[in-house]
Amino acid sequence: MTDTTTIGQGITVSKTGETGAFGGELLTVNFGPHHPSTHGVLRLIVDLDGELIRRLKPVIGYLHTGIEKQAEALRWQQAVVVTDRHDYLSPPINNLAYALAVERLLGIDVPPRAKALRVIMSELTRLSSHLVWLGTSGIELGAMSMLMYCFRERDTILDMNEEISGFRMHTSYIRPGGVMADATPRFFEMLEDFINKMPSHIDEYEDLLTMNPIWRSRTIGIGILPAEDAKVLGATGPMLRGSGVNWDLRKNMPYSGYETYDFEVATSDLCDCYGRYLVRIQEMREAIKILRQALDRLPDGPVNADDRKILPPPREELETSMEAVIHHFKLFTEGYSVPPGDVYVAVESGRGENGCYVVSDGTHKPRRVKFRAASFVNLQPLERMAMNHMIADMVAIIGTADTVLGDVDR
Amino acid sequence: MISETLVVEKGVSAGDAWITVEPANAHEALSALKDEGYLLLVFLTCVDHLADASREWPARYEIVYQLRNMKTREQLRVRAFVDGDPPHIASVHDLFPPANWDERETYDMFGVIFDGHPDLTRILMPDDWVGHPLRRDYPVGGEVVEFSEEHETWQTAPDKA
Repeated sequence: MTDTTTIGQGITVSKTGETGAFGGELLTVNFGPHHPSTHGVLRLIVDLDGELIRRLKPVIGYLHTGIEKQAEALRWQQAVVVTDRHDYLSPPINNLAYALAVERLLGIDVPPRAKALRVIMSELTRLSSHLVWLGTSGIELGAMSMLMYCFRERDTILDMNEEISGFRMHTSYIRPGGVMADATPRFFEMLEDFINKMPSHIDEYEDLLTMNPIWRSRTIGIGILPAEDAKVLGATGPMLRGSGVNWDLRKNMPYSGYETYDFEVATSDLCDCYGRYLVRIQEMREAIKILRQALDRLPDGPVNADDRKILPPPREELETSMEAVIHHFKLFTEGYSVPPGDVYVAVESGRGENGCYVVSDGTHKPRRVKFRAASFVNLQPLERMAMNHMIADMVAIIGTADTVLGDVDR
Repeated sequence: MISETLVVEKGVSAGDAWITVEPANAHEALSALKDEGYLLLVFLTCVDHLADASREWPARYEIVYQLRNMKTREQLRVRAFVDGDPPHIASVHDLFPPANWDERETYDMFGVIFDGHPDLTRILMPDDWVGHPLRRDYPVGGEVVEFSEEHETWQTAPDKA
């Protein structure tokens, strides 16, 4: 008893009927929402025939925090704080999408030093996000020591976050009009040290995993997502590149000066969990390359746009200039108004296209802020990838899809 | 470009090209655009223009489709204005599979009914939720914190928006 269901044009999955191959009934299992390998609170309703997955339905929403609603109630500059919190493993990249969108509506441009600092923070975030992914995926598939190694390096990145913004995770560092403050000399020392050491750390991870027979047998041939299906189902980021499609917003639709950096887009034709693993490892190496270039040719100058209607005046001016006091007062009581219009800006986060669609009605608060979450879209091919695999492979598939449930549910 | 008869209005907003179509023609227009090479639906959402004085709006709800041609890297935003309670528009999940969850989210948050959707249920809010939170007349802070002192009285007589 087999019937096929179409989940997209030309993409069908076979679902068996009520009875399995051995004549028994299908067993419905609730996978999650509190299963540790679901990276948050993802619930999957899985119908099993023996150990094979015959039906799968993701149930999401357990981590819904109403971020888009909250952003509507905040002023333009305050809404940066909630953008931190949807994809909680890459806050500066979320900030960047929002900041670029608001800047496009305002029609302002940021100085070159701010652009370079934004690139540095984006790449550090990509590294820390991939490190969390590698550590947790490792621990789920039996490579227990990975978590220790990965979190060791991630902690240095969090230390750098703390140095540059005062916060370890939710930095709110990138803001409309520039960045919070210029980086300290100590930050550059830490970054220099990190860039020098990181390549050997990545070699260390590869020594542990790339040729590891257990890791390979758990990931090779598991969760196959062909390139055509990945495109039709709207997958982005390492999910798409792991299927051999060369698409990276940093290269294809550059923003924040990414067109001036020399780096390769990592792809893999394997289309399986191992391919996605190789893509992420390669992306970490490319991120180091970008960081090296950004640090070597970091331009001097201001880190904020010179617009007193958007950004507060420097502290020292408040003591001498009446105009500065007025600007300061207006900015912190009313905020600034953004011309009516709407704009969509997409940036490449660690897990795909992280977009921000902003609508302004001309007032000091956004009319609508919509986050195009990469994880939300990347979760939809899960059924395509997991069908007819063993239930234990589900862990590898969810792991390499690298969804952050805060991003899925917003 | 798609047939001019389908396009009601077009323009550019902060560098993003957009067109407006009649809601009844939305499916046809998106199908034509897909044939032109806009193969990716980046996102689908809704904007509530309740009491929005920035311009004269044809209807309260604006359904927004962001399309991308991955070969030419062109982007196009398609808008359709719908009214009514609940507002209705044709589902495009058959053209763009990612629309499936986006439409469920838009239904959940704005109460827009997508006709022809295979499984139009709530996706982010609990199944028994009353109201559509992202509508502009849905209050912020209208929900009592669970297990707080007020929660017990609130639970027996929920004061829903």
